[in-house]
Amino acid sequence: MTATTRRPAAPRGARERRWTVALVIVVAMVWSVSGLNVTLDRLLGAPGDAWAILRQMVPPAFARVHERGAVGKVFESVYIAWIGTVIGALLSLPLAFLAAHNVAPVWIRVPIRQLFNAIRAVPELILAVILIPITGLGPWAGTLAIGIHSIGTLGKWATESIESIDSGPIEAVESTGGRWVSNMRWAVFPQVMSTISSYWLFRFEINVRASAVLGMIGAGGVGSELVSHLVFRDFPAASAVLVLTVGVVLTIDTISAAVRRRIITGSVGKSEPSRSAEALSDLTGIKQR
Amino acid sequence: MTPTPGQSNRPVRPRLRTRTVSIAAALTAFTVFAAREVGFDPSTFWEVWSNPLWEKFWPIPWDWVFDSGNVLQPFVETFQIATISTILGCGLALPVSFAMSSLTAPNRPTYLVSRAVMNVVRAVPDLFWAKLMVTAIGIGAFAGSWALTIFSLAVMVKLFSETVDGADPGPLEAARAAGGRHAPALRTGILPTVFPDYVAHSLYVFELNVRASVVLGLVGAGGIGRVLEAQRQFFRFDRVLGMLVIIFVVVWIIEQVSVSLRKRLI
Amino acid sequence: MIRLEDLSVTYPGGVEALRGIDLTIDDGEFVVVVGLSGAGKSTLLRVLNGLVTATSGSVVVDGTQVVGASPATLRQVRSRIGMIFQTFNLVNRTSVLNNVLMGRLSVVPAWRSTLGLWPAEDREAAMVALERVGIVDKAYVRASNLSGGQQQRVGIARALAQEPRLMLADEPVAALDPVTSRQVMGDLQKINRELGITTLVNLHFLDLAKEYGRRLIGLRDGEMVFDGDIADVTDETFRDIYGRSITDEDLLAMGDSPADGTEDV
Ligand SMILES: Nc1ncnc2c1ncn2[C@@H]1O[C@H](COP(=O)(O)OP(=O)(O)OP(=O)(O)O)[C@@H](O)[C@H]1O
Ligand SMILES: [Mg+2]
Repeated sequence: MTATTRRPAAPRGARERRWTVALVIVVAMVWSVSGLNVTLDRLLGAPGDAWAILRQMVPPAFARVHERGAVGKVFESVYIAWIGTVIGALLSLPLAFLAAHNVAPVWIRVPIRQLFNAIRAVPELILAVILIPITGLGPWAGTLAIGIHSIGTLGKWATESIESIDSGPIEAVESTGGRWVSNMRWAVFPQVMSTISSYWLFRFEINVRASAVLGMIGAGGVGSELVSHLVFRDFPAASAVLVLTVGVVLTIDTISAAVRRRIITGSVGKSEPSRSAEALSDLTGIKQR
Repeated sequence: MTPTPGQSNRPVRPRLRTRTVSIAAALTAFTVFAAREVGFDPSTFWEVWSNPLWEKFWPIPWDWVFDSGNVLQPFVETFQIATISTILGCGLALPVSFAMSSLTAPNRPTYLVSRAVMNVVRAVPDLFWAKLMVTAIGIGAFAGSWALTIFSLAVMVKLFSETVDGADPGPLEAARAAGGRHAPALRTGILPTVFPDYVAHSLYVFELNVRASVVLGLVGAGGIGRVLEAQRQFFRFDRVLGMLVIIFVVVWIIEQVSVSLRKRLI
Repeated sequence: MIRLEDLSVTYPGGVEALRGIDLTIDDGEFVVVVGLSGAGKSTLLRVLNGLVTATSGSVVVDGTQVVGASPATLRQVRSRIGMIFQTFNLVNRTSVLNNVLMGRLSVVPAWRSTLGLWPAEDREAAMVALERVGIVDKAYVRASNLSGGQQQRVGIARALAQEPRLMLADEPVAALDPVTSRQVMGDLQKINRELGITTLVNLHFLDLAKEYGRRLIGLRDGEMVFDGDIADVTDETFRDIYGRSITDEDLLAMGDSPADGTEDV
């Protein structure tokens, strides 16, 4: 209790480190802003410009965009996302079995993993840019872009869930003299099916946003509507399109999340929250971990 | 133990439930309908290879790609956009996340409103934000930075508020019991435990931003995508491919660095 | 049925799990293998169906050389050998019947089994196997909804569905309580008697070994230290095999049930 106990000195360096980090952040900010062609009046003018446009956006001109078929375009985005997800799911599933280290030999596993990585690295938008000259403008280009890109992420997630299964049943099928295909079908597939199908749904949620964006370069869906209204500075129409899109996205998110919860809790799956947090950041649809 | 040929105690094979069958039928019907709507055309899969366009992708003009003015400078711009928006977005996300977690929200209205607003913000695709910003404040990286700031904020609050939700409430209660006001109580009661996650998530958001800022240029919001779009319009797909290779390598390196840093943090 | 000659197994890590085993087992025998943990019991069983590869020596099962066999030959050999596991190794998320049908995978064409179009006679074989272990009423229940003892019976039925000539059981009752253990051992014994399937069982408990075995094999540090009729086994023999005297823990009747609360595994 008395001063006989030696009090430890406050650890040195903590303060210094904090200042260093702050300095690094400030330098990074200054460096980045220097490249953005920001002048003072642009910076000060920006909030005013944004506010002016925001005011023109209210009230949204729903009737007008409805006449132009905006609702159909929103649904087209949903169809693109759905078919893209189906394509990605169907193609990625067999590949995932060839990419998992516990069931596939190394000579096939390594190239397939690299394929997944390479696909994940190319954003849908860029894929669509490459595909449009081949397929022509329209929803099929967007669908293919989403389908191809989804192979990368869905393949990676499916591979991970195959790698986390219980190896006992694999050994059991092996000991009965079953072939590799039978082993995948009866020992592995039942174990991963529910997790993987919930990933498909999750990817569908992401793909709805992605397909909306793809329309901006003419690959089908609602994006083209938004762009044309903005180009003509028809802000009430643009905001109506925006509200429609957000409404559909939120609805799909809600339904899909509920279904996923049922799929996962209906079976003894691994806990979902961490996975969802991780994958949720995939919202732009152009990247993953 | 002996096999009974009578088979009397064998259960009958359960019939597929009507619900299962009707869900499967509905999904199939929807898929077929959607496929027709998007112009599903499997011939693309084989005709793609005979397309003369592929010749335009090869060979990659490395001279052009490595000429600093062509790719390097716009790439630096991409990094600048990603950096400033990560710092601003994640900075703003810190207080907003605390408002969005039931554990740390100052009061119920703040909690509900911040959640609702953030859900809507996240429902707007990132390039929609970019296009809106470009329209509002003009073409260029400045607009792109604003768009990505909003996007970073939306992603970060989702990730970080989940972390706060899962934090141990003990220290916070202790700080409140000691009579601390709301903000200081959070500062001492929660922040130290969740800060490593905050930094880790920020790194992840930076990673996302680099990837996202690659395509910003396609809608006029600056960065490397601007060059990509220009070369595409001239049908210089060889250059596009060369840039894609560079982008792939850089994004991959960033991902590796970020993943290893994040592993060390958590 | 089984002929092992100078069999040795060394694992990649350098552990010599079996050394110079010579062993002959005739058709229809019921053999119990005992030994301390790590003595090489599991390795001995697994080497018979090629799940573990012999480093040297010869393993002939039912007239086929297993060491160095081609994948096709190995599948052929395995199709005639049923295996039962300590942890059951069932697919929990599918029905009992589907688990048992896995025993038919080696005879059903791959495309049919993959699509789930099992031929009627294979469904019949699976049902008969389930009847033999007395749980045919559970055929369409999810495997995860069964008790531990019932799950092990599904494991046995899966092996039986192969219509095997040889049955290998690696500590089949280690995860079960004493009463269920006896029932499962009884099932194995009856299968051996009624169907004449040669059976090799690894056991941990000495009293179970004495109760159900006819021939006993003792392993110690990878070497065979005893091989003889169960009637000739004395406490002395067990001391040789275990390198210490017998304790309560070596007996099922006395030892703590290792399976408390595992009924719903
Ligand atoms: N896959 C493996 N890789 C390397 N070493 C192994 C492997 N499997 C077993 N071993 C080693 O081989 C030896 C014999 O193992 P084995 O599993 O045959 O023993 P066991 O008698 O079945 O023991 P237990 O009663 O614990 O099951 C042990 O020392 C073990 O550590
Ligand atoms: Mg063992």
